[in-house]
Amino acid sequence: MAARLGQARLTLPARVSLGLAALIMVAPLLWTLLLSLKHNADLVGHSGAALHPPYTLDNYGAIFGNSLTLRWLMNSAIVALGQTAGVLILASLAGYAFARLEFPLKRTLFVIVLLGLAVPSQAVILPQHQLFAWLHLHNSYPGLILPGLVAPFGVFFMTTYMRGIPAELDEAAMLDGASRWTIFWKIIVPLTLPAQSTLAVFTFLGAWNDYWWPLISATRSDMYTLTVGLAAAQMNYAQTSGLGYLMAQAVFASIPIFIVYIVFQKQIVRAMAGAAVR
Amino acid sequence: MKRLARALLVVLALGSCAKPDHRTHIYLQRFFGECGAEYGGSIDVAKAEGECGIITTLINRFNAENPDIHIDVNVVAWPGYPQLTAQVAARDPPDLVTMHEGVISDYALKGLLEPVDDYLKMGGVDTNDFTDAARAGVTINGRAYGLPWDTHGGLFHVNTALFAKAGLMRAGKPVLPTTADELIAQGKQFEQRTGKPYLIQSNVGDPAFAARNLYTYMMAQGAVLFPDAHHIKLNTPTGVAVAEYFRRINVERIGTLNMDTPAAIAAFINGEGGIYPTGTWMIGSFQKEATTRGRPLYNSYAVFPYPRLWGAHVEYVSGHSWVVPTHKRSAGQRAAIARFFRFMAAHNFDWARTGHIPAFNSVLADARFKALPHRADIAPLAEIGRPLPSNVQRQNAIEGIVGEEAAAAFTGQKKVPQALADAERRVNDLLAEVE
Repeated sequence: MAARLGQARLTLPARVSLGLAALIMVAPLLWTLLLSLKHNADLVGHSGAALHPPYTLDNYGAIFGNSLTLRWLMNSAIVALGQTAGVLILASLAGYAFARLEFPLKRTLFVIVLLGLAVPSQAVILPQHQLFAWLHLHNSYPGLILPGLVAPFGVFFMTTYMRGIPAELDEAAMLDGASRWTIFWKIIVPLTLPAQSTLAVFTFLGAWNDYWWPLISATRSDMYTLTVGLAAAQMNYAQTSGLGYLMAQAVFASIPIFIVYIVFQKQIVRAMAGAAVR
Repeated sequence: MKRLARALLVVLALGSCAKPDHRTHIYLQRFFGECGAEYGGSIDVAKAEGECGIITTLINRFNAENPDIHIDVNVVAWPGYPQLTAQVAARDPPDLVTMHEGVISDYALKGLLEPVDDYLKMGGVDTNDFTDAARAGVTINGRAYGLPWDTHGGLFHVNTALFAKAGLMRAGKPVLPTTADELIAQGKQFEQRTGKPYLIQSNVGDPAFAARNLYTYMMAQGAVLFPDAHHIKLNTPTGVAVAEYFRRINVERIGTLNMDTPAAIAAFINGEGGIYPTGTWMIGSFQKEATTRGRPLYNSYAVFPYPRLWGAHVEYVSGHSWVVPTHKRSAGQRAAIARFFRFMAAHNFDWARTGHIPAFNSVLADARFKALPHRADIAPLAEIGRPLPSNVQRQNAIEGIVGEEAAAAFTGQKKVPQALADAERRVNDLLAEVE
């Protein structure tokens, strides 16, 4: 119904404008894809060579020719999924506590969490690195996952979302004898699934694309994530002498993200729309 | 559930039963990219091409020739120094690392690198055979902190077909300028006769280009760039004269103005200009174009060190080296490192096929090296090359600052004295933070 209303309101100029905007948005992606299908030598002289055949899959073959690529892919998946699961659990629990429970220093703690939004990760990188070195966690999955679990945005996001859920639901459940945990698990969590999906996508995306922490924590090539591994595989001046390979790497690294968006797009749109309406 | 847990434990236990390995392991960290798909199993160094191919094959060959040692390779994203610093901080540094000679002081002066004199002696590497540029690049306070591996610097890559059209060829060789005014005159003649720019310049996003020009021609006039380890001196009559000269090149349209590195490389390959001043590392790519029938650069390529325009014929250079981070190591590992040094020194010619200048005089004199395309023309770089003083730290960062300000001066975004003063201030601020 909403979609039909939206379509009916779109005038021809609006559709053309939107179409053009969409084209502009997608053009760099298509350009990347085309470049990835060309031999490096063809692109050195003129990248316009990407607009006409011959095309090749050699650059993708070179990615898989590196014996560690699948290992990096697996590392990225473990780290991204681990961080996503961890953030969802911690942010939901913390969000519920801040939204529903009363406890000493609640406001102060929430302000401290919010302050975390203002601290760039680079500012704490030295003590963080020292701490993980002291704990012997570098070059390990916990070492790669744990820093990502500090997610003030996630806590803030879930707190805000949960505050929007009527407290009467909790009270009714309490009257029926439900415990706090039951209320959280059986009532609140299902109602926050759209927000969880959004937070999951953002967290997964951030973890998948993260470069800085894996670069200095995973210093052994078998523990590289895909971003670090692919960067390490590049030769100097890759942007000129290895442009096709570089673009194939970009396409390859973005495929999982693309899949995540495709799978979760309904939840993302629903969550965004819900947030907008509220 | 218990059965499943037991089964998992058994699998884990069996999985951890590795075959006993009695080899001495050396952990080597390098840049130059990853090319295991093409060279992962290759030990035929003569057939390898490019930096990545040659270094990968050399290490494979070392492992094959030394069955009692195994080099475990870690390939890092260029240039790899954030990772190395993190490893040092975590007290888990590699045993061998590729390092730009300009970076050695950052680590060596903090005691994070071992002097390698003993390794060189143990490996039988003749340090008297180092070229002057190579020796200067790895020596701090009289001690060698690395095995020099090459010298690299700026070169004038020349399109000889366009030079011929411009009337600037004599006896099959390009006539390069010998004075600053002659370069301008040649540039005008070139533009008139070919309709193309004399110089292709990567003025955008390539601070090394501008820094190289400024350093080189200030050094040529005897300027002392660093009066001490904590101060740079650029805003001098010499510095102003050099920067004003490069500004004049742009004002008089002797060179391209708004190109970044990929654009400049593409322009040179497509025959869109006479000279592209860039590094030794591009020789292989340009030579390939010059030997490919139908390409604009076909049979039309020559390359030389920067010409002498003022004073002495010297040129700012850097180099790659192998360094040994400070760490507790067994006698076997030390012997293995020494053997690796001997192997790499013996194979310096193979590395010189990348286009970089060898670090050993014997390789420079080797007939095989001279027979490589253009090497006889660029070999003088080993003699005229001058690195920055080895006691100056943060040379990479300094190059970035100087290059940024120099480019602003060359392109007219800033007045020359202002840009040089800003460069001095920023560099001196940076060096003031160094212990």
